[in-house]
Amino acid sequence: MNKRTNGMIAVLLAVILVLAACGGNSEGQPSNAGSTGNTDGAAGQTAELKPYELTVAFLSIGQIKDLPEVQAEVNKITQAKINATVKFLPIDIGAWQQQMNLMLAGNEPLDILVTSTGLNFGTQAAKGQLVELDELLEKYGADIQKVVGGDVIKAGSSGGKIYAVPSVRDWAADYGLVMRKDIVDKYQIDVDAIKSLDDMTAVFQTIKDNEPGMAAVLPEGPSFSVIQSIVGSVIDPLGDENGVLVGFDGELKVVNWYETPEYASLVKKARDWYNAGFIPKDISTNQTTSEQLIKANKAFAFMAHMKPGYESKESLLAGTPLVAARISPAISTTSSIANIMFGIARNSKDPERAMMFLNLLYSDAELVNLIDYGIKGKHYEVKEGNIIGFPAGVDSSNATYNPTHGWMWGNQLLSHIWEGDSADLWTKLDEFNNSAVKSKALGFSFTADPVKTEVAAVQNVKDQFKIGLENGTLDPESYLPEYIAKLKSAGMDKIVAEKQKQLDEWAAANK
Amino acid sequence: MASRKDNLFQICIHAFFIILALMCLMPFALLLTTSFTSEASIVKEGYSLMPSQWSLEAYRFLWSDIDNIARSYGITILVTLIGTFVGLSISALLSYPMSRRDMPMRKQLAFYVFFTMLFNGGLVPTYIIYTQVFDMKNSLLALIIPGLLTNGFFVLIMRTFFQNSIPHDIIESASIDGAGEFKIFFRMILPLSLPILATIGLMQTIGYWNDWFNGLIYITDSKLFSLQNLLNRILLNAQFIQNNASTLNAGEVSNASIPLETVRMAMAVIGVVPLLCAYPFFQKYFVKGLVIGAVKG
Repeated sequence: MNKRTNGMIAVLLAVILVLAACGGNSEGQPSNAGSTGNTDGAAGQTAELKPYELTVAFLSIGQIKDLPEVQAEVNKITQAKINATVKFLPIDIGAWQQQMNLMLAGNEPLDILVTSTGLNFGTQAAKGQLVELDELLEKYGADIQKVVGGDVIKAGSSGGKIYAVPSVRDWAADYGLVMRKDIVDKYQIDVDAIKSLDDMTAVFQTIKDNEPGMAAVLPEGPSFSVIQSIVGSVIDPLGDENGVLVGFDGELKVVNWYETPEYASLVKKARDWYNAGFIPKDISTNQTTSEQLIKANKAFAFMAHMKPGYESKESLLAGTPLVAARISPAISTTSSIANIMFGIARNSKDPERAMMFLNLLYSDAELVNLIDYGIKGKHYEVKEGNIIGFPAGVDSSNATYNPTHGWMWGNQLLSHIWEGDSADLWTKLDEFNNSAVKSKALGFSFTADPVKTEVAAVQNVKDQFKIGLENGTLDPESYLPEYIAKLKSAGMDKIVAEKQKQLDEWAAANK
Repeated sequence: MASRKDNLFQICIHAFFIILALMCLMPFALLLTTSFTSEASIVKEGYSLMPSQWSLEAYRFLWSDIDNIARSYGITILVTLIGTFVGLSISALLSYPMSRRDMPMRKQLAFYVFFTMLFNGGLVPTYIIYTQVFDMKNSLLALIIPGLLTNGFFVLIMRTFFQNSIPHDIIESASIDGAGEFKIFFRMILPLSLPILATIGLMQTIGYWNDWFNGLIYITDSKLFSLQNLLNRILLNAQFIQNNASTLNAGEVSNASIPLETVRMAMAVIGVVPLLCAYPFFQKYFVKGLVIGAVKG
């Protein structure tokens, strides 16, 4: 009897919960819509557009104390041009995944959001949480299509439809070694002569022989391996490195990267360097960034994937001049483009207006500068030509608007250049992007959902072996075969097959 | 002979506990010294109890954000005080009737509480209810309410205490002397239950003090960040910038040269010290004997 009552109570509770959830949804929506009204109508060309408030979620990185002031200025522009106001919603990277999932699932007011392969773009597109952009781009995105043309914009597609537009920044990377200039000069190392990993070996030997206590080479950072930073010069990772294209001009044949002779020779090289003492013994437990280790006189160089202006920036971080030896041309893949994009949320009540705003981000220099650097005269001052810097008495420690997020907002090439970078940075960057070797599969993005289980299992195996093998701490003689065997039993072949299938479909659709 | 054996035993016991105590204290000492070490000497020599170079740079970095940290301290203290007080009241008021054998439906009530310990609505439905029905997003209520409603465990502990440690005779004798239910509860039961109230109170205080998850999902307005939430965000942002320094341009790297290792420790220190100070005030209740002498004969 008692048990029965308990059971009934449980059922009753469940029903109440379900009802409450439904009630919440239907009651919640109208009250949300109410907040989107705006009474400050603008006359003129926008008369036919009703006032609308766009909620724009972005990654909050730097100092944004004065965001409300900047937002007010932004609204002056957007009200005049598209009769919309913008409500910025900064979300910290630590809270992003959690809050964004909940906001999308909870159907909260949200129009535009930052997305990327690393921030669940694939899942968001597959789940229908993002709006298809093809038609909207056709109608309202002329300037976006002008700047982000052809193959590049396809990086933000899923299943043949475009769901997000990439920001204009470094869409490619070149690969090589970044070294301390003082040491390079001391031993008269010819930087231009370093063209391969073998050339590097000789340089490392010099350092090892003459500079005790200094590591010859490091990875790009604690979460990277020495090999990781230059792998991009050999393969197109097709997103997650599970199934890759080797080389950039061959046919579209997906292979298991870890089984290839190229991979075997790379990890053998890493092992040789490790055994020779070029890579520090404690590399697998290191948590300190390479720049700091260089600053502390503990290292000579690190592997890196780079872009124009990379050395000058790294020199600031390391506190000593650095020079770079590039061993590959710039290479552009879907992954390097789909790093940061803007999408329109399904929650949006007015996707067309959202697209109009996105279009402004690719065409209106005033708007881009406002968002990137703040209000002229208050947050920055024009120093010379296109170069800007902090006003007198302001530096990065007391700045009230220093968001450092130019790479996120639309067309960065429209913005000023912060002092410290060369005045032709954007020209160089544009050339860099245009001259980059384009992967055959540029524009293809893999949807991992059909093989989700396998991807997770493979990831576990990778966590166990990958960094150790690629830093030389594990002997490839015995561990590489074990790694490959475990990957296979985790379902790597199935992922490769699925990727090949999707790639073939993509290729057929793009012929 | 016997006394020598005793001595040896004493020494062993003491040695054992001294080592145990050191094992608990050393990490904390390391935390403290690391937070006062210069970043450069950590990179060079690793963590050490006696670093070659002391420095306040980590605290200076946090001081530069003092507005936010001070405000978040205020938020955390407010939320902790209100949450602990209200939470304790609700728990006591719910568990006392459940402990009384003459209360009808007490088994069903106990099951209802127990049920919440096993099942909950899950994150997304909970979030939708809180934000859309009760409109608690970006309000202090979002930091307080969830903590109040998910402590079925505390309620059951308290009920057990009321049931087993407070003799029913006390309640009977009080009611014979003419005390009503409220008088019995406030004048007899609560004073006799100080140990359990202090225990649950401390647990709730720690829970509220350390809570960052509710802030993570319900709060986007930086003015309402609690301390733990803020520290967590500062740390993750600094980490993100360092790991993604390659996306930035030269003008933007000023943010990236943060003394991350020491800042991490300094954050832990400022997060834990106030709680450490509060602990002794609770501690005196833990050891207090209770009903000795109340029912003799």
